[in-house]
Amino acid sequence: METMPESEKPAPATAPLGERLAYSIQEAADLLGIHYYTMYRLIQRQKIKTCRVLRGKLLVPRTELVKLLQTDLR
Amino acid sequence: MNHNKRPTELQESAATETKNAFSEHLNQFNGFCDTLHNIERNLETIGNDAFKAALLSPGRVVKTDDGTEWQHDLDLMKDISICHRRIAGEMEFAVVESVPLPSGETKDVLNSGHNVREMLQTFAHDQRQVLRLWKDDVTAQMREYLDQKYPGHDMNIVVESFEYKMSRALAQRPAQAQNQSRGVRI
Repeated sequence: METMPESEKPAPATAPLGERLAYSIQEAADLLGIHYYTMYRLIQRQKIKTCRVLRGKLLVPRTELVKLLQTDLR
Repeated sequence: MNHNKRPTELQESAATETKNAFSEHLNQFNGFCDTLHNIERNLETIGNDAFKAALLSPGRVVKTDDGTEWQHDLDLMKDISICHRRIAGEMEFAVVESVPLPSGETKDVLNSGHNVREMLQTFAHDQRQVLRLWKDDVTAQMREYLDQKYPGHDMNIVVESFEYKMSRALAQRPAQAQNQSRGVRI
């Protein structure tokens, strides 16, 4: 079976987790250490709640990330 | 949108910049589309392989988060595999996803059923929804990017070109999607 393309090493998020209320999908995936396609799968299955901002861009609230990490990262 | 409208030089240049800025997303998106097309084209074969694996080998045990135990048959994609279990002499199949989160690995049943081919069809349908979500989010990010780079300029034609290209990649077989574009050359 063909192997899915994966990014080699995700780039770190641009700001510390504690300073932001919400994160882009890429940033959230980087913080969780998973591929962003996995993030979209989790969102589609409503495992992660998101909100849409201007232009329809998806953001993951910090509270959702903390829930997945099961620890306060501040 | 008027698709016959010619893009301006500024729009052509913005398209090139956007393509470079989002190249990883675009490449990965195309790769996942190809993988999905391959699964859709080979449903029968994958189903047969999974069935054979279930009959021939006990497979390693996979315990999902709902407490059920499955036996691994084959890997479908990265972190996604086909598993089976026997209930009252009947074979039940499942598509299981493993997500390696920092808090621990989660294992979820994405789809399940007694007919592995139908189960894979449902899986492929769901993955299309995921790819649509990805496409919509990336084009929204492109709009934001272009708004910041070119405030006051109409860059709709640029975003729509990428959106069109991504929609085609998702809709079509890879061989059909080659060398087709419209609007801005991307």
